[in-house]
Amino acid sequence: MADISKFARRKNLFWFRKMKLNLFGVKSNSLFKKTLAIFGLMLTPIFLLAADDVVAAPTEFNPMAWDWSSILTLVLAILIILVIARSFDIGSLTEKITGKTIVSWNNVNAWAGIIFLVLGLIGVWYEMKVHGKYLKLGDSASAHGETLDSMFYWTFGFTFFVFVITEVLLFYFMYKYKYDKNRKAAYFFHNNKLEIIWTIVPAIVLTFLVLRGFSTWTKITTDIDKNSEEIEVFGYQFGWKARYAGDDKQMGTANFNFISGSNPLGVAEDSAVSSLVQELNGEIVKLEAVKAAIEDSSKLWKAQYDRYVSTGMSSSYPEEFKIMKSKYNDLISGAYERQLEKDIKRKNTAIKRILAYQKDHETFNGTAKDDKITTEIVIVKNKPYILKFRARDVIHSAYIPEFRVQMNCVPGMPTSFAFTPIRTTAEARATKNDPEFDYYLFCNKICGAAHYNMKIKITVVGSEEEYKTWLATQTPFVAPPAAPAAPTAPKADSTAVKQGTVVKN
Amino acid sequence: MSTAALHAEHDSHHHDHKESFISKYVFSMDHKMISRQFLITGIIMGIIGMGMSLLFRLQLAWPDEQFGILETLLGKWGKDGKIDPNFYMGLVTIHGTIMVFYVLTAGLSGTFSNLLIPLQVGARDMASPFMNMLSYWFFFMSSVVLLISIFVETGPASAGWTVYPPLSALEKAMPGSGMGMTLWLVAIALFIVSSLLGGINYISTVLNMRTKGMSMNRMPLTIWAFFFTAILGVLSFPVLLGAALFLIFDRSFGTSFYLSDIYLEGVGALENIGGSPVLYQHLFWFLGHPEVYIILMPALGITSEVISTNARKPIFGYTAMVISLMGIAILSFIVWGHHMFITGMNPFLGSVFMILTLIIAVPSAVKAFNYLATLWKGNLRFTPAMLFSIGLVSFFISGGLTGIYLGNAAMDIQLHDSYFVVAHFHLVMGSAAIFGMFAGIYHWFPKMFGRMMNNTLGYFHFWFTFISAYLVFFPMHFMGLAGVPRRYYQFTLLKEFDVWMDVNKLITVAAIIGGIAQLFFLWNFFYSIFKGKKSTQNPWESNTLEWSTPVEHLHGNWPGEIPTVYRGPHEYSRPDRELDYFPQYLPDETAPVTAPQEGEQTAPTEVVPEKTVESSVFFAAIKRVFGLS
Ligand code: HEM
Ligand SMILES: [Cu+2]
Ligand SMILES: [Cu+2]
Repeated sequence: MADISKFARRKNLFWFRKMKLNLFGVKSNSLFKKTLAIFGLMLTPIFLLAADDVVAAPTEFNPMAWDWSSILTLVLAILIILVIARSFDIGSLTEKITGKTIVSWNNVNAWAGIIFLVLGLIGVWYEMKVHGKYLKLGDSASAHGETLDSMFYWTFGFTFFVFVITEVLLFYFMYKYKYDKNRKAAYFFHNNKLEIIWTIVPAIVLTFLVLRGFSTWTKITTDIDKNSEEIEVFGYQFGWKARYAGDDKQMGTANFNFISGSNPLGVAEDSAVSSLVQELNGEIVKLEAVKAAIEDSSKLWKAQYDRYVSTGMSSSYPEEFKIMKSKYNDLISGAYERQLEKDIKRKNTAIKRILAYQKDHETFNGTAKDDKITTEIVIVKNKPYILKFRARDVIHSAYIPEFRVQMNCVPGMPTSFAFTPIRTTAEARATKNDPEFDYYLFCNKICGAAHYNMKIKITVVGSEEEYKTWLATQTPFVAPPAAPAAPTAPKADSTAVKQGTVVKN
Repeated sequence: MSTAALHAEHDSHHHDHKESFISKYVFSMDHKMISRQFLITGIIMGIIGMGMSLLFRLQLAWPDEQFGILETLLGKWGKDGKIDPNFYMGLVTIHGTIMVFYVLTAGLSGTFSNLLIPLQVGARDMASPFMNMLSYWFFFMSSVVLLISIFVETGPASAGWTVYPPLSALEKAMPGSGMGMTLWLVAIALFIVSSLLGGINYISTVLNMRTKGMSMNRMPLTIWAFFFTAILGVLSFPVLLGAALFLIFDRSFGTSFYLSDIYLEGVGALENIGGSPVLYQHLFWFLGHPEVYIILMPALGITSEVISTNARKPIFGYTAMVISLMGIAILSFIVWGHHMFITGMNPFLGSVFMILTLIIAVPSAVKAFNYLATLWKGNLRFTPAMLFSIGLVSFFISGGLTGIYLGNAAMDIQLHDSYFVVAHFHLVMGSAAIFGMFAGIYHWFPKMFGRMMNNTLGYFHFWFTFISAYLVFFPMHFMGLAGVPRRYYQFTLLKEFDVWMDVNKLITVAAIIGGIAQLFFLWNFFYSIFKGKKSTQNPWESNTLEWSTPVEHLHGNWPGEIPTVYRGPHEYSRPDRELDYFPQYLPDETAPVTAPQEGEQTAPTEVVPEKTVESSVFFAAIKRVFGLS
């Protein structure tokens, strides 16, 4: 037993064991008390941190309101299952006692595997038949989407073949080689030839798929038509807006510092930005006033608080008391004042930044004035587009499954996706036999409570004229000073479309 | 435990080692007890995670229905019997976090690495039993903090289990990003500490504490898998800790690692400038991708062992299995970008990640074929553990194949964040790993608790779970292909997704059946701990070293000397033997018992013969790769 003692002694090496603990007057060198104490120390701040926020108990404990029928059903169901479970124990006990095997489970399982395989394959076939028709594959509404779909079919063909072969073999082996005490399993460790084959073959097939994927991906992401028309798509909690360049064919610059109620996309337009500065200055004045009066309001809240405590209202109106207690605490601890100061500082920074930009005539070149901000996207069939994405607050993802388009919209990092629609809404309605069908751009990156309902309609029209008519109905950012409606300018050479840039800090 | 004599002798060496209740069951330093602690905590977390999935499945299937039980259970989050959309996000997030980290990382690796590494390599305990104990208690604390976060007034973290900033960084962006998110970060930090303490221990035990004769190339595949898993964890978890620290700074101390150009409704333009949300994603997925193999590899290791034992046949291609595990482990560090194809990352980088990702499919395919070849011409005993292992192979194939779609950057444009992804990772990582865990539990239950589980219940558990898992996750592929986005609270507002309502109902019904099937398991597990049939020493007639220890646990594992190992772990059905197994620890009948094997030196127990490391598969493989020999 020599090595046991060696093992035991080795555990003594830890300094921790030798350390003497003296915590709050409790002296101990018991390993366990020390460990407990350390864990306790580590957890305490967490508990303190959370204690205030954790709902102590449901405010009213009211078992009458509980959904007793469901609870009872659940309990009953669980009991029944447990009784069934128990009866299996007894079943196997009787097998033990009588010494007879009632069921040969090994065979049952082998057969169950075969049954599972057959039913499973039928299920797969059924799924494809029933739900295959809802798949958007095969009717891509964009040009690059057709390449994607064809690649999908290749991949599908290969993987489905492997899937069927391997699953069939798996369950067939399960049946074929079930235990037989008169047989001995084969004794071999490997087979180089076989192993080389099943390494090389997948490698070759994968190379083929990779090469196709590589060329398609590169084409989609980098081979962009110079004549593409730009549309800005802007995601925010919780919705989308689009921006078109307007009559001058130039998209004005934009910056998050310029965003305000009347300028949701933060475009660089003098009057809107100036009024934002005014607005911010007004807010700062208000905040300063609140800050100056903080002494008085502290007193008021303290009086309120004391009244709640002394009259016992604190227990009769727990909800109100909780709110006011936290307000009171914030005031007393200075947290409220710090918050005010932070707000003021942030607004001052914003003003400073805005003023700096306003001096820069590259940014405020007036091209934003006629930009059209829309709540719907209209595009023309067979015309190349490039969607420029921006996000206001958190990451969103612009997802248009019908077009095989998806790109994240990241705050602080403009992204884009180029594509060409090849099917109008009207055509899609006809093929889908659904007169109400519309294309939508969804949000596909978790962004908050209403993420599931964040979409914008996309209409693909058949001709430039339809599009122009629609665009004319959209108001520009700054309405032109009652000029006679300008006739649609002769179609400008679209290479002249200047790329709008997003101002980066 | 009936080893009073042993303990008497044991105690004389260090006086304060009393086996009190606390030192035996609570702050135990015995790897077998710690593994049970991990397992039972993991099972409890699993029940919670699964319960959550049932709650939100209810919402997805019957979004317009009102369930009184939801109000009873959730209080203000279930007003009028409907889940609040914010809390739905919280449920999804905590479900994902619990399943990935708490059940399938700690619950799976923690349990089986702890149980099997010392027992299968022939060691008295872990290299550092004390660190091992700490590892469990950090995990425990982490679980407690995570569970507390559910009860926070503003709700738990709700930004998805990946907690991407800015959503997770800005308290005003969603309620869950307040205190709930803070606690989530604390919980994960504690979890990482636990995982590192465990991982370092596993690695050093495997490298240094193998018994005489246990060269690396005689180690069971379980040990190889745990070994690579631990290496992955030790290298990648610190990166997550870094990511989490930056996030904490951004949240609380006004830094701008991940924040830039943000305007928040109700707040205004924020001051933060210059950070990048994409940086977080790189850091997160640098852990995140190895993490999926941290989850999967132990399950694969367990399966290899269980299949070989119950097929009564050597595992096919031991060396190929080890090399492909190693290949997967190395490649898993350089493919993280496949989670980020459409984040706006440079498209060329996307191409590189696509190529690397599809390369990783090759070793995975090799593993699947090797499992099939092991079953071929075997003599299969369908114990519940064997069934779950076969289930794993099935999921590994059907879930792995869809990885080829997602790894292809071009196709990922359409599939990213759709239900196709949910289907893919639930099959290949969720179901496969859970099945590996069940296989491990059924197989080593006798070793853990000295009793047997009921087989019949195990069969029912398996078939119900297997069928319901396929019914739940298979149809999701079709939803994803049709462009149905994930993390949606309901689909009824969007007409184009309405056609999937009946599928959603089917999935939920299947999930409930799957949930009920787990009751069979829970009953079986807890009942058998106390009342199960007493186990024999080697109930599955297995070859590996753990079955040479007595049924009753004792501190130090073997009453006498640690047995010597004479051959590889898979010598089943040897033609020259009458029995169809030949344990590693039995000497060859022809050779004298004490004679050292060729190429080995007589060395003191617990010290690895110097040569063995060099002759190990690991080094052989490296040599071969670099053409050294
Ligand atoms: C009990 C069976 C399970 C069911 C019914 C289930 C169902 C679901 C569903 C419906 C989602 C939400 C998909 C979405 O909206 O994005 C989800 C998310 C998730 N599940 Fe499961 N799941 C189960 C088990 C598991 C297991 C075993 C794992 C372990 C890997 C797991 C890991 C995840 C993860 C990581 C997410 C993503 C969470 C997020 O979006 O942040 N689930 N699950
Ligand atoms: Cu969203
Ligand atoms: Cu990955």
